[in-house]
Amino acid sequence: MSDSTTNLANVLVTAETPVGTQLQPIKKKALIQLMGSRLWGRFNPNHWDPTYARATGLPGPIQTGEMTSAYLFEMCVNHFGAAMFSNARMQCKYVASTYADEVITTHGVIRDKQATDTGTRFTVDISCDNEAGEVKTVGFVEVTVDNKERAHGE
Amino acid sequence: MASDELRPLSDIQVAQTREFIAALEQECRTYWDMVEVGDVLSRDLTITPELVILYADAVEDFNPWFEAWTMNNWRSDGESPFGGAIVPPMLLSHFILSVQFDHTKPFAIGSIHTYHDTEILAPVKVGATVRITSTAIDKFEKRGRRYLRHQVEIVDLGSGQPCLRETRDIMSR
Repeated sequence: MSDSTTNLANVLVTAETPVGTQLQPIKKKALIQLMGSRLWGRFNPNHWDPTYARATGLPGPIQTGEMTSAYLFEMCVNHFGAAMFSNARMQCKYVASTYADEVITTHGVIRDKQATDTGTRFTVDISCDNEAGEVKTVGFVEVTVDNKERAHGE
Repeated sequence: MASDELRPLSDIQVAQTREFIAALEQECRTYWDMVEVGDVLSRDLTITPELVILYADAVEDFNPWFEAWTMNNWRSDGESPFGGAIVPPMLLSHFILSVQFDHTKPFAIGSIHTYHDTEILAPVKVGATVRITSTAIDKFEKRGRRYLRHQVEIVDLGSGQPCLRETRDIMSR
């Protein structure tokens, strides 16, 4: 694997960023030890115990949906920075389960942008899928970028 | 599929696992049966630096804006564009389940979170105490499955301002 040559400053969205721009994906592996950690799935064996999951009709333990929401939020912060922490919206539907050892990739495409009194309001279609392209989570984000400053507050 | 199908476990670890799950299932009712439309539950949560680290480590999010705890310094104010370290908004969303499942009753295991529509209103500083209030607003069946919908508001008790609102659905066994 070669080291990335991505210039992190260049991924930040500004008011001039065009509709159709794709956010750079991030990748995470669904690890059973993390799925069953106390703050995530430990309270519900569906998220970490194969025997219990099968007894409830699942083929295996499923990752907490909110973990994919966290992945998607991280991707959005990479591109919108501080703007993601106020006057923002994130909608997610967990359309399929994520299973242990799947590699999840996030996706985002700017669908729309509108000028507002406080800046430029972007709408971004977001999703996650696995290595086979099976979609796990779909939704959208709305976030306002100040017209005078870069999204990350510099 | 056995207990150790996805990770190595010894016999004693398997026994401990089965014992833990058996305890979870004792006197457990389904979420559908536990909740009535109109039910309101509310709890206060102090978001410590360590809580944020626990959350962020499991999703491998190493954004330094969330760090008010590091291995060499332990607690600090941290740094972000808002001054000190801030709370990942999806942590607030995640902790709603701690409120909507009545913690005074056995946990209704086997439920699955299927949807959320979250308004992120304002940043929350690490160390803040927030009040999470969850109201059950609907119960419905769709394609043979049973769902409960909640409307949630989270207020930063330091400023008195709402910091997050959310509509979320849970699919019950």
